[in-house]
Amino acid sequence: MHMADALISPAVGGSMYALSAVAAGYSIKKIHLEADPKKVPVMGVMGAFVFAAQMINFTIPGTGSSGHLCGGMLLTALLGPYAAFLTMIGVLLIQCLMFADGGLLALGANVWNMAFYGCFIGYLIWRAMNGRTMSRGRIIGASVIGSVLTLQLGAFSVSIETLLSGITDLPFSVFIGMMQPIHLAIGMVEGLITAAVLVFVYEARPEMLSLAEAGEKKERFSARKTIGILAVIALFIGGGLSLFASSHPDGLEWSIEKVTGSTELEAAENSIYRQAESVQEKTALLPDYQFKNTESGLGTSFSGILGSCLVLVVCGGVCYVISRNHKKKGLS
Amino acid sequence: MSKLSGAYYEINHMNMVAEKDQWVNQIHPLVKLVLTILYIADVVSFSKYNIAGILMMGIYPIIVFMLGEVSWKDSIRRLRVVLPVVCLLGLFNPFFDRQVVLYLGKFPVTSGMFSMVTLMIKGILTVLATYLLIATTTIEKICYALRIVHVPAVLVTQVLLTYRYISVLLKEANTMMQAYALRAPGQKGIHFKVWGPLAGQLLLRSIDRAGTVYSSMVLRGYRGEFYFEDRGKCGRKDYCYLVVWLVVFFAIRVVL
Amino acid sequence: MSHIHIDVEDVSFGYEKNKNVLSNLNFTARERDCIGLIGANGMGKSTLLKLMVGLESGFSGNIHVEEIPVIPQMFPKIREKIGYVFQDSESQLFMNKVSEDIAFAPRNYGMPESEVQVCVERALSMVHIEHLREKSIYKLSGGEKKLVAIATILAMTPDIILMDEPTIALDPKNRRNLIHILNQFNHLRIIASHDLDMVMDTCNRVILMSEGRIVADGAVMEILTDQKLLEDNGLELPLRLQNGGNHL
Repeated sequence: MHMADALISPAVGGSMYALSAVAAGYSIKKIHLEADPKKVPVMGVMGAFVFAAQMINFTIPGTGSSGHLCGGMLLTALLGPYAAFLTMIGVLLIQCLMFADGGLLALGANVWNMAFYGCFIGYLIWRAMNGRTMSRGRIIGASVIGSVLTLQLGAFSVSIETLLSGITDLPFSVFIGMMQPIHLAIGMVEGLITAAVLVFVYEARPEMLSLAEAGEKKERFSARKTIGILAVIALFIGGGLSLFASSHPDGLEWSIEKVTGSTELEAAENSIYRQAESVQEKTALLPDYQFKNTESGLGTSFSGILGSCLVLVVCGGVCYVISRNHKKKGLS
Repeated sequence: MSKLSGAYYEINHMNMVAEKDQWVNQIHPLVKLVLTILYIADVVSFSKYNIAGILMMGIYPIIVFMLGEVSWKDSIRRLRVVLPVVCLLGLFNPFFDRQVVLYLGKFPVTSGMFSMVTLMIKGILTVLATYLLIATTTIEKICYALRIVHVPAVLVTQVLLTYRYISVLLKEANTMMQAYALRAPGQKGIHFKVWGPLAGQLLLRSIDRAGTVYSSMVLRGYRGEFYFEDRGKCGRKDYCYLVVWLVVFFAIRVVL
Repeated sequence: MSHIHIDVEDVSFGYEKNKNVLSNLNFTARERDCIGLIGANGMGKSTLLKLMVGLESGFSGNIHVEEIPVIPQMFPKIREKIGYVFQDSESQLFMNKVSEDIAFAPRNYGMPESEVQVCVERALSMVHIEHLREKSIYKLSGGEKKLVAIATILAMTPDIILMDEPTIALDPKNRRNLIHILNQFNHLRIIASHDLDMVMDTCNRVILMSEGRIVADGAVMEILTDQKLLEDNGLELPLRLQNGGNHL
């Protein structure tokens, strides 16, 4: 479910960064480091644990395939929402750098889609079901419901972010029709794995599951407050996105055009593009090359493509020669 | 090779590559981080029909690959994670956007095909750019850059700790998986009956380890604050590197 | 008497009520002592070491480190004087680079950066690992990690060094090297270990523990050659004192 950089526009990526940063800032304020400096090493090592646990293949009975642990729901039950959220940010950052899972531009979005819902919404569900009394059944219930719900929210966010970024021509309904059911199944499996681990912890070291509680007691995590925060965030995202979208051809307008039925090719033809055309006409290698549909701006760009390829080949060649000479010098 | 040992290998390998003493490796990490993000944002925001512009942006990875003497082979392996998803999404474009813009011989080329190709190129370029960052800059240096731009110390320290213990826990998980596999021949993954105990054991060990780490920190004077080594500011070389690339990016943007 | 010493008076400790892990311990460790703390598994050796630096609290009796009582308010002060080398170096070394890890303590104690570097240099040279300065921790071998772990505590210039199983998981060559380095120190050292041969090579005094009590406290050669005493307490003679071959 990691979003790649190529699937997100800078406007959407930036907005999601802002949102995740707000949530992260709030979490840092809330973990009360002065009172409990142990949280940092615990978060650090637990991040590494999530990393390793994600690589384990859990066989799904009756099928040939296997499921994986995502971690948000598990961490939130063990560490509380704030520490869990910060831990997941670390995991996602390292994943995107080290394993090309996700991307730097999409990091904000990935943090939101996976860590925010998993940790904060997941925690609400965990608290609601296991706040007062805890039992095997309740743990399993909270894990499964939490995982399914947070993954659904995540998948929905992915769909919306992709749509707002305007990178696919896939109609929204089709996209979301694909995303949600797939993630329903993934959520079920993840929920069961999370449940299995938490039940094991509950039986082996029950005190660990109340750790999160103890840390948050001073500052009660209330549903009303959370809803308030979410509302502010929603306003923020709406405002931010519409600001961006008004100046950005690949943003919201794209979807509006879809609705109104006008061709999106017009959007591609902005002023820079026209300028480029004139530059190309003068300098391109194939100035007379004409295509049937020159209005779209695509025709003339064909010579541009050839030109680009040529430049790249030349550049690559020069670099290759230079580096080979360099190595030879080093050897002799 | 199992996923766990694969990841272990990957981390060690990347670290080795990033610690090389190349010219690009020595550029200030903040410059490289900023440049990478700007580059990705730039690539991604190219119009979805502008193949020429996108292709030209390939100049950055090509040159940095050469300057940093980074291996192409490794970078191509990394594409396997992102490319399938991007391609899958891209493949839909020709079906939904069928306006014919030109004929190659008798073959009609639609704008959807154009947008599919640009999407794939965007996918490749963005992954390569991130790869070039991490192949020339260690995670510690990136964390140092994050500190310079005032990312909170808690977060940065936590990232460093996670990074420190990833290889340790991957090794531990791998040993557990191997021990499991030896006693459960013919199984591809973990049987659902041991889902809890297996991952749970790893979890408890991790928590215990965190306890020892904390003890070790406390015994050495840790009281909830973090100090970072000063690794030097951006020099003239770093600024030049940044400016040259920004000019190149801007030029490509304006011309194409 | 010099100022470097630890006094343990009538110390008892248990994790659960009525179940003591340590009972009525009494001894004094003096400057230049190198004490081998021996005993079978689960006899409370590590727990005792942890009590001295305040990693476990809630014991009865008194422990004084250089006249400072081991009580929570005094922990920071005591920890400046005592270096503790954990059994698991992997957990003790939590930074990514050797020099960074060694610099952790001096920085926490508010040293200016120039002095921190001097401190790191000195700690590295004391265990002869100057060449590892810029290395990543994960690349080190087990033996190197142990030496770096020792260097990290030497950077705090402690008076006293406590070690929990220092030779565990070391190959023979690294083990010999470690013994050589330990013998160069003149700190007050307390080493908890199963490796009786190492204890023989490094310590001048041995405290034998069994079921949370001190069974014997005396000169190294006296206790480690007493086959009956050792066997009664679940131990065996050091390998080199056993008859050829039967230790396999």
